[in-house]
Amino acid sequence: MRRGLGRLAAMVCCLALAACAGGQVRHGVGGPNTVSFALPPSAAPNWILPLAIPGYTASYNGVIQSALFLPLYAYDGSSGAVALDDKASAAKAPVYAPDGKSVTITLKPLSWSDGTPLTSADVQFWFDMVRAAKDDWAVYSKGLLPDDVTDFHVVDDHTFTLTLDKTYNPGWFTANQLALITPLPKHAWSHDSDPRKNFDYLVSQAKNLGGYQESPLWKVVDGPFALQSFSPTGQVTLAKNLRYTGEDAAHLDKVTFLTFTSSAAEYNVLLAGGVDYGYVPTTNLGQKPKLESLGYRIEPWNGWSITYIPYNFNNPALGTVFKQLYVRQAIQHAVDQQAISQVIWRGTATPGHGPVPQDNDPIYLSQTQKNDPYPFDLQQAGQLLTEHGWQPGADGVQTCQEPAKCGQGVDKGTRLSMTLLTESGSDETDGTMQELKSELSKIGIELRINAQPLNTVLANGSTCEPSSPACAWQLSYFGTQGSWYFPAYPSGEQLFATDAGVNFGNYRDKPTDDLIAASTLSTSPQAMVDYSARLAEQLPVIWMPNPPYQVSAIDTSLGGITQDPLAGLQPQRWYRR
Amino acid sequence: MTRFLARRLLLALLVVFLVTVVTFVILHLLPGGPARGVLGVKATPAQIDAFNQSQGFDQSIPVQYWDYLVRLLHGDLGASYTLNTDVSTLLAERLPKTLVLTATSTILGILVALPLGVWQATRRGRAFDVVSTGLAFVLYATPVFFLSLVLIILFAQVWPIFPAQAAQGDTVADLLSQPGSLVLPVIAGGAATAVAYSRYMRSSTVDNLAEDYVRTARAKGTPERTILWRHVWPNSLTSVVSLIGYSIPVVFGGSLVVESMFNYPGVGLLFWTAARNADFPVLLGVVLVIAVTTVLGSLLADVLQLLIDPRVRVPGATS
Repeated sequence: MRRGLGRLAAMVCCLALAACAGGQVRHGVGGPNTVSFALPPSAAPNWILPLAIPGYTASYNGVIQSALFLPLYAYDGSSGAVALDDKASAAKAPVYAPDGKSVTITLKPLSWSDGTPLTSADVQFWFDMVRAAKDDWAVYSKGLLPDDVTDFHVVDDHTFTLTLDKTYNPGWFTANQLALITPLPKHAWSHDSDPRKNFDYLVSQAKNLGGYQESPLWKVVDGPFALQSFSPTGQVTLAKNLRYTGEDAAHLDKVTFLTFTSSAAEYNVLLAGGVDYGYVPTTNLGQKPKLESLGYRIEPWNGWSITYIPYNFNNPALGTVFKQLYVRQAIQHAVDQQAISQVIWRGTATPGHGPVPQDNDPIYLSQTQKNDPYPFDLQQAGQLLTEHGWQPGADGVQTCQEPAKCGQGVDKGTRLSMTLLTESGSDETDGTMQELKSELSKIGIELRINAQPLNTVLANGSTCEPSSPACAWQLSYFGTQGSWYFPAYPSGEQLFATDAGVNFGNYRDKPTDDLIAASTLSTSPQAMVDYSARLAEQLPVIWMPNPPYQVSAIDTSLGGITQDPLAGLQPQRWYRR
Repeated sequence: MTRFLARRLLLALLVVFLVTVVTFVILHLLPGGPARGVLGVKATPAQIDAFNQSQGFDQSIPVQYWDYLVRLLHGDLGASYTLNTDVSTLLAERLPKTLVLTATSTILGILVALPLGVWQATRRGRAFDVVSTGLAFVLYATPVFFLSLVLIILFAQVWPIFPAQAAQGDTVADLLSQPGSLVLPVIAGGAATAVAYSRYMRSSTVDNLAEDYVRTARAKGTPERTILWRHVWPNSLTSVVSLIGYSIPVVFGGSLVVESMFNYPGVGLLFWTAARNADFPVLLGVVLVIAVTTVLGSLLADVLQLLIDPRVRVPGATS
């Protein structure tokens, strides 16, 4: 009797649990014409206004913004080369004056979702706010937009002319300046005649995450999608904008952006079929056949990025050593990029040899960079050091014995022993650093690895004065997901120009400055190629393999997906087969 | 009783105050500060300076702490650097979800543990005791993340009975709307509790069964069931009850792992994300909540023990 009751209880429990669990849908959540997209681990969209303040510039915010609000000019690199994406842009191709000092832009005949036509006033609305509050605009860099536009002249409702402060390279200006502009619905968003007050008002509204869904502001859109729901925890659902008037209408009814606590949690849900378009942690790539059998195709998504380790040229102990080109050459020769890419990154990373994205760009990449001027060659690396007066000490670490040969400022007895501040938490990065340490030790360079959270690495590995205690760092690595993602035009004015904001290593080179200036100002594309060659040879940083943006797992029934190196999504082009 | 409670409350306030001091100082002594991590690689020095100024990082740590304390006493926990929301709003959203998870898993764990412990004690040395003790040790030695992974693989992937993640949504109601999605997180979170408390309960019951009063009761012919449930059970329970209050930090710690594995949008996840992003206001807010909960838990345990065990009320009786 007791046993019978026990069995009955067990059956009831099983049935109850099974009933609770009912309704799970394989591959994604939602209806048949919807798609679920997995956001990166711990990423939660938190900014809807296409005019960001510092701290809110994450790419996933940009993806959602561009689905709701069409940028003036959109770029896309999924075809193999980064180029203007006409269908996703709000304006026709810009027309530059023959002297290059002004540009005339004509808007496409688009309307906002409330039926009001999109006009030049909507662009001017954005521009006036940015001009009034440029210091609070996340993207502002002194001398660039809006400083480089001296006049905004409205020609008519659909045409306007921008007067520039000097002649710029049109390719650079369109890609890196005009692409920052997004027309905003002035009729619905204008709160005050003062642009500064308008900016503050919109920012305050954008800070109210809980109010996104109900606020009438965000209901007026001109993109292929409209906002259906926006959870403060990060889950966002976009629904097809039924009043979209452009030529790039959405095929899907809904796209849901899912948030995950960790890549492990995302992967578990992926294996259970809960995501249509997700990602595979590199450590799980061995399970590719299993994922394929579950109906996913696995594709690396290469970023429009480069990955590197900056030298701190202002470091009091080793700055003068790093300034010696032959030392940098020896170190670069000791980086086994093929092994790191193929073994540690399981073939998903791409060796990098210079300042231009290596695997996506056929236009600006120089032959010098492409051909790897400093291939892995430990013998050559050791020889460079020996020829310049370095000899291994009793502990095997190279020590400067002949200062005259070692180079200007390098004292006798200086040891090639350096500390690398690197980000923690990634098996691939840990493996890469151990590989680097191992190879460098073979040529007598001691590398001490100091792994810290990314935030600490970024905080402690930035621009500094030689006398400052903050200049104690020698090498730093923050490239687990790529060190630097470029806008459409991969010039180096923020990275390698003297005193540039993200020139963390304080690199200074007049010819480089001239080439960077030429790449942004001259109309010749050759300046970018020359810049690529110069920095591939000069090694302002240690060039490292560039990891993918992510390795994607995409439901095989999903079509229209092109993995844009610029990290754009264009979900309006996705469809169910 | 009143004096005892007043003394314990004062002590609790002091502990919470010290926790805020220690956490605040440790966080603010971290090298570099949070600006670069929050604003990103592309932030300009001017933007970093502006951020540091707006957050008061240009002040000395005592001044920053005083400002924090004043705001705290006014109920202002600050705003998250990265989540674009007030910390109090975040806690109001996430804490109930974590409480649902931790309370459910703890209660279920204890409901399984207490009778199991008694059962093992009364069958000490027999096959059931040996097998269940062995299993308990295996389960106790299994890290929560591994157990979670095994549960997901078995019951979400191999046999897709339950979802691999908790229901997503802003409210507890959203969470409870899919009770099936709570089954695996609750089992993962409650297993360790069940195993630990069954061991405590077994030991406590074994000790009590060897006491003189049990022998006397048996000699008087009291039925075994009455001895067990009327005499041994309450006495065994006293030591276990006090442990429940003290285990709150462990439960919160375990929930961090469970939330991470099951994509459960609770306080544990909030803490984890904040730690990764150097989101100081959120870290301080969560630590404060855990400190207050821990202190209240231990206070509650003391009070419960006071009520259950008369010996505690009589000075010198327990010595």
